[in-house]
Amino acid sequence: MITMRKVGKTYGTDKPALHDVDVDIEQGEFVFLVGHSGSGKSTFIRLLQRELLPSRGQIIVAGQDVVKLKNWKVPYLRRNIGCVFQDFKLLPNKTSYENVAFALEVIGRSKHVIRTQVPEVLRLVGLEDKMGSYPDELSGGEQQRVSIARAFVNRPPILLADEPTGNLDPATSLGIMSLFNRINKTGTTVLVATHDREMVDSMRKRVIALENGYVVRDQHRGVYGYGD
Amino acid sequence: MAINVGYFLKESVTSFRRNWVMSLGAVITIYLSLLLVGLSMVTGYLVSEVVRSVEDKVSIQIFLKDGAATEDVEALQGWLLRDELVEAVNYVSKEQALDRFKEEMAGSPEIIDSMRENPLPASLDVTLNDPRTVQEMVERIKAQELFVQVCDRPDDPEQSLKYGQQIVDRLFAFTRIVRLVGVVFVAMLGSVSLIFINNTIRLAIYARRKEIGIMRLVGASNSFIRAPFLLEGVLQSLIGAGIAILTIVAVQAAVLPRLQEALPFLPVDISPTAMLQLSAVLLGAGMLIGLLGSGFALRRYLKV
Repeated sequence: MITMRKVGKTYGTDKPALHDVDVDIEQGEFVFLVGHSGSGKSTFIRLLQRELLPSRGQIIVAGQDVVKLKNWKVPYLRRNIGCVFQDFKLLPNKTSYENVAFALEVIGRSKHVIRTQVPEVLRLVGLEDKMGSYPDELSGGEQQRVSIARAFVNRPPILLADEPTGNLDPATSLGIMSLFNRINKTGTTVLVATHDREMVDSMRKRVIALENGYVVRDQHRGVYGYGD
Repeated sequence: MAINVGYFLKESVTSFRRNWVMSLGAVITIYLSLLLVGLSMVTGYLVSEVVRSVEDKVSIQIFLKDGAATEDVEALQGWLLRDELVEAVNYVSKEQALDRFKEEMAGSPEIIDSMRENPLPASLDVTLNDPRTVQEMVERIKAQELFVQVCDRPDDPEQSLKYGQQIVDRLFAFTRIVRLVGVVFVAMLGSVSLIFINNTIRLAIYARRKEIGIMRLVGASNSFIRAPFLLEGVLQSLIGAGIAILTIVAVQAAVLPRLQEALPFLPVDISPTAMLQLSAVLLGAGMLIGLLGSGFALRRYLKV
């Protein structure tokens, strides 16, 4: 589902943000990407979304060669990748329902599809009662659920999450993670970048650890694993 | 959360008002630009109509000596008619010339009374297909032997010809200047409108940057993201163009009759066809300005 071969990324003339990264992620896997701030997690995620192009190496996402992909085809790649962020990125002037529906509207889905899929995915994330609420009427955890619903409503084969629990308390984070777990059970490949130690240790999933741009560990049923 | 509600309400109201004012600003600039473009086009049109009416009156008159042989005159007339520059040749006899003169001088009968005999020569009035060829035609006539035989002043044939080369030259110089000024005006105002649309769309993009970010995130196609902004630019220009056209129609209806009254000897009128063409040009120009302006803004500020 995701293949990276000898991938390097250098910003300007600084030392590389990513260095010789070789990673294979199979369909249906659940993977944690861990590391300190500045270890290259965000660069990793943004390369997969083709927000950035690598300085060298090859990246294949959902069967597409990301480096050779024509600009105008990028949107179609992104329809295969759901994205969740630390800051939710919800539109404040739209309700939960409208925020999720927006993601389908702008890729040209029919009204019928929107009317059936949006309530369904909001039920999946446990927000069937909050469809008419605006983001500022929701708690942080609820807002993140809306954002996950938006990322998943189009049933993408890949879900990327960059620090999804960074703004949430531990109890709420647990709920979010179990939601990712449920989504992963439907066959979706899930990649979560985080430095939430307890979460990673409790879930016992595959862990890819980054340090100064190098992959220092790639371990199945791993733990966060830093002493500090 | 209560603070948040107030904040978001205020922000959306502010954003709405800001966009509204900017859009209005763009519409007004385009309106003013296209209005000036339209008015300079109307002026240019009127001037060239006047020039054309004067051009129609530009002809070459060949004065004939009294008692010139009729067959020579007819031969000259025939030769003139065969020339491709000539549209028509009209023979004016001495009597007709006198009648014309009397008509023109009707206001001062003492001049006519003082004339004992007819001092006016007969003439051939030559109308040309293109008034700009007057000088060339004059040269051809002067080189023609028949002309020297029948002309009024064989000693100085030049004096037997009367033509309005200078008037034509001056008028053409004038129209060239009017057209040049028009083009410069149109170019300047066009670029001002472009800059304005560019700015409006930039602000619109800025105001909607969150939505755009999410659209990109979920894979909205580039054209889907761009279309509303292009449409916004085009709509603004079309509204501006529409008001400009209405204004020009109103101005024309109010001013032209008075102008015609003040200048009864000149044809100041705009045909409905010309008006339609003008409207089409303004709408087309508006559309183009809108597309270009928002297109530039999208290229520069909307990296998709």
